[in-house]
Amino acid sequence: MKHLFNLTFLLLSALVLLFIVIPLVGLFGGVGWSALFTAFRDSEIMGSVWLTMKVSFYGTCLILVTGLPLAYLIARHDFRGKSFVESLIDIPVMLPHTAAGIALLVAFNRGVMDDIFKSLGIRIVDTEAGIMIAMMFLSAPFLINGAKEGFKNVDPKLENVARTLGAGRFAVFFRVVLPNARREIVNGMLMMWSRGLGEFGAVVIIAYHPMVAPVLIYDRFNNYGLTYSAPVAAVMIAVSLSTFLLVRWVNNRKRV
Amino acid sequence: MLELRKIGLRKGAFALRQVSLAVPERDYFVILGRTGSGKTLLLETIAGLHRHTGAISFRGREITGVPPERRRVGFVYQDFALFPHLSVTGNIRFSDRYREQAGRIAWQELIDSLDLGELLERDIRYLSGGEKQRVALARAIYSRPDILLLDEPLSAIDPGFRTQIMENLKDLKRRFEVTVIHVTHNFHEAAYLADRIGIMLDGKLVQQGAVQEVLHRPASIPVARFLGYRNILPQRLIDPHAAAGHFALNAAQIRVDTPPVGDDYSMYGVCRERNEGVNHYELVVEADGCPVVVRLTKQSIDPVRVGPGATVQLSFPRSAVTFFPPAESPDEAPV
Repeated sequence: MKHLFNLTFLLLSALVLLFIVIPLVGLFGGVGWSALFTAFRDSEIMGSVWLTMKVSFYGTCLILVTGLPLAYLIARHDFRGKSFVESLIDIPVMLPHTAAGIALLVAFNRGVMDDIFKSLGIRIVDTEAGIMIAMMFLSAPFLINGAKEGFKNVDPKLENVARTLGAGRFAVFFRVVLPNARREIVNGMLMMWSRGLGEFGAVVIIAYHPMVAPVLIYDRFNNYGLTYSAPVAAVMIAVSLSTFLLVRWVNNRKRV
Repeated sequence: MLELRKIGLRKGAFALRQVSLAVPERDYFVILGRTGSGKTLLLETIAGLHRHTGAISFRGREITGVPPERRRVGFVYQDFALFPHLSVTGNIRFSDRYREQAGRIAWQELIDSLDLGELLERDIRYLSGGEKQRVALARAIYSRPDILLLDEPLSAIDPGFRTQIMENLKDLKRRFEVTVIHVTHNFHEAAYLADRIGIMLDGKLVQQGAVQEVLHRPASIPVARFLGYRNILPQRLIDPHAAAGHFALNAAQIRVDTPPVGDDYSMYGVCRERNEGVNHYELVVEADGCPVVVRLTKQSIDPVRVGPGATVQLSFPRSAVTFFPPAESPDEAPV
């Protein structure tokens, strides 16, 4: 009975793991080393990959500055409307991405918001700023929710003790809360950043150009077919996966 | 003098109700109470961590609105709340940035007095309960507090080490010139450490005073019950003219079947139960319809005669008795 249980679970687990691994292996196998190597030297592909990674990183940093205080407030306080605020944060995850793109375009490219952006010299359509807004909107929940869990795991007594030792609220946050929630925050950043790399639906509506990697893959697939789009996909996966694994490894190396 | 005047607040399931307290400087004050009676909440309030009604003053200066970081209180939690991301040294020296050099306690003196030399570079995850406690104490003392707040500091300590650690705690106020407020549910700890003691029940400080006075003269029936008095009896048992009122009787101060010479009170009853301990007997004697628990050493009675069904004479001195006002009834008092 025990063997049957173990065998069933192992088999089912192996199936789902294979399901995840096969497309990746298939992609790299199908593309081949020589096409992959050529793709790595293609300035359009590398420019697009770099742009994607850079813009997603900037968006992650912006959400870090505003999302951490929000995550902390939610983790530490009970207030009226808290569950409403929490649902609000999760809304982008539930939206169809193209619909989100339309919503962003309507909200930020018209009326008051458009005036504000214009006065700041920011344009949304077909710019890096527009791409960043799309990425931020759809992937911010990953960072905020990750940080919220991290803050919840920090014992409030640590903060109390730190205050009696002379540290003010900001010092306690930076010297006690952040270091102890670091792992979840960095993982949340990583999730947000990776999610931003893959953002297509909303980005394509706001900014077809400059082309982020998912748009470039789509563009090449549409115009030239699989042979020209697969190497871009392989490069994008190789670069983002190695960055993801490296950061995760460094972050999880020590317990705290 | 640390003075609390009518402190009140509610936090989730816990509440403080009109807590007033005066602790002279460099006193060791122990607050005794059950788990959930609001003891930790009171300490956190003294530290400035909660908004409350009423007022707190120290050395004659009102500190009610002063934030915790400027109160000069040290706090040691029951689970010690050491910073997991810092080493032992990092934990102890956390206050370096916030307390001026002159105000801090000498490093070597602190390390020697709490025997921390071996621990300084250790990872706090691998410390024992006793070691963690010493680090938490050192961290609090290093910041040179005027008031040290200890929340059940011995509950996570192996019983074998408690005596040694209690010695350490007892010495704190003299060595580091600090006023200590220590909360616990343990009577032995309280009796050993305290200069003065307070009893906290359901968020209220119901009695405070010198140790012996509080432990042996409970001011009310709930306090007597909390302190473990098992005999809360109607006054008519010792005073036939008393129409109402109750008294607490210390079970260990009752004598059986000896001439009541020097004893102030005596009464007769029928033994209903006799339970045997390692070196004592516990009798339940029914006197005028009331069960009286008597605790005796084995040498003090004749086991052949004193057993279930035997009529016995109980006698006890005035010091074994605490009278309560007639208005108090044991039925209303929460057990």
